[in-house]
Amino acid sequence: MIKRIALWIVALGAIGTAVGGALVYYGFYDVAATEPHTSIGYYAMHFAMKRSVRARAHDIHLDGLEDRTRIAQGLALFRTHCQQCHGGPGVPPDPFARGLRPLPTNLAQDGREWPANELFWVIKHGVRLTAMPAWEFRLTDGQIVDLTAFLKNMASMTPAQYQAPTVPPTPIMEPALPAHAPDAQKGKFLIAQYMCATCHVIPGVAGADHTVGPPLTGLASRAMVAGSLANTPQNLVRWIRDPQSIRPRSAMPNLGVGETEARDIVAYLATLTDGSP
Amino acid sequence: MHVSSLLLPVVLLLASAHARADDAEVQRGRAVIERFGCAACHVIPGIRSARGLVGPPLTKLGSRIYIAGILPNTTESLTRWLLDPPAINPGTAMPSVGLDEAQARAAAAYLSTLR
Repeated sequence: MIKRIALWIVALGAIGTAVGGALVYYGFYDVAATEPHTSIGYYAMHFAMKRSVRARAHDIHLDGLEDRTRIAQGLALFRTHCQQCHGGPGVPPDPFARGLRPLPTNLAQDGREWPANELFWVIKHGVRLTAMPAWEFRLTDGQIVDLTAFLKNMASMTPAQYQAPTVPPTPIMEPALPAHAPDAQKGKFLIAQYMCATCHVIPGVAGADHTVGPPLTGLASRAMVAGSLANTPQNLVRWIRDPQSIRPRSAMPNLGVGETEARDIVAYLATLTDGSP
Repeated sequence: MHVSSLLLPVVLLLASAHARADDAEVQRGRAVIERFGCAACHVIPGIRSARGLVGPPLTKLGSRIYIAGILPNTTESLTRWLLDPPAINPGTAMPSVGLDEAQARAAAAYLSTLR
């Protein structure tokens, strides 16, 4: 009897896998952003996202969210970095943002309803499979607290208050990571944060299979980098941080990698010896 | 019988002759690459002992978007680069190895097949 049930389970599993595989292979699932989610799909994913955020944000504790300077600074940051997608009181999102699915939410409501620690977590880490980016490495933790303070108070602001000229936000980014000895594992993580994977083949990094620039396979065994520099950690850090300072017409852009981050990335690249996978 | 069906064998013959010419160009390119020592600095698929690690590997070079990080990758720009690298990127470690135009074009044809 048990054997028979087990056989059925295996058979049903195999059929399910085959049907699912066929649906994927023949393109049955429509990925168009103009195609709305089904209600059940939307709420299931939204629920999963909220639970995931809650589980990860519970040990974050924020103070000073009623501080006026923080709120003003957060407002300025919001207008510079968030309004393009989310819009603001009386201000529409930019045209491109209206084509995003899921739609960027109106943060006057989310700001009031979501706990501050969860808002902070979402701004810092972003949400995969949505257009919400991670602002870690783009903004400092202090700036993300400013934004959180603003969001908590956004609903009580009139459109006129929101749109009144504000102090410009401090654009300077502090290094996101405290200084430390170069760390290859951190470097592998940072390679994804700075978009290296969109142009290069990088062994060990998921999705890094692009041929815009040269493959970084075996880079550690290479005598030269960037066509003109001896392959030393210092030179690689210089090249990664500011390619145009070495080759003004290079297609490789300056991605704003900090010194500490660049050293971590170089530490990872140093593990890519010739013959490494 | 329609005229076009009579022309078809002729078209096919011309097409295959053209393909053979391309193929011959690629083979000449392979020989050029072997003779001019590209292998000393580069990993080049299909070239014996091309395991050099001075410059970047030329794996999938035909799919690469940029040559030397500067020029959009076309047979034309690749030919120009191979003829005189420092003219494109002053300060590059890649020397001008003394290819003539036809040799550079053939080498570029071979490299473009690496996809």
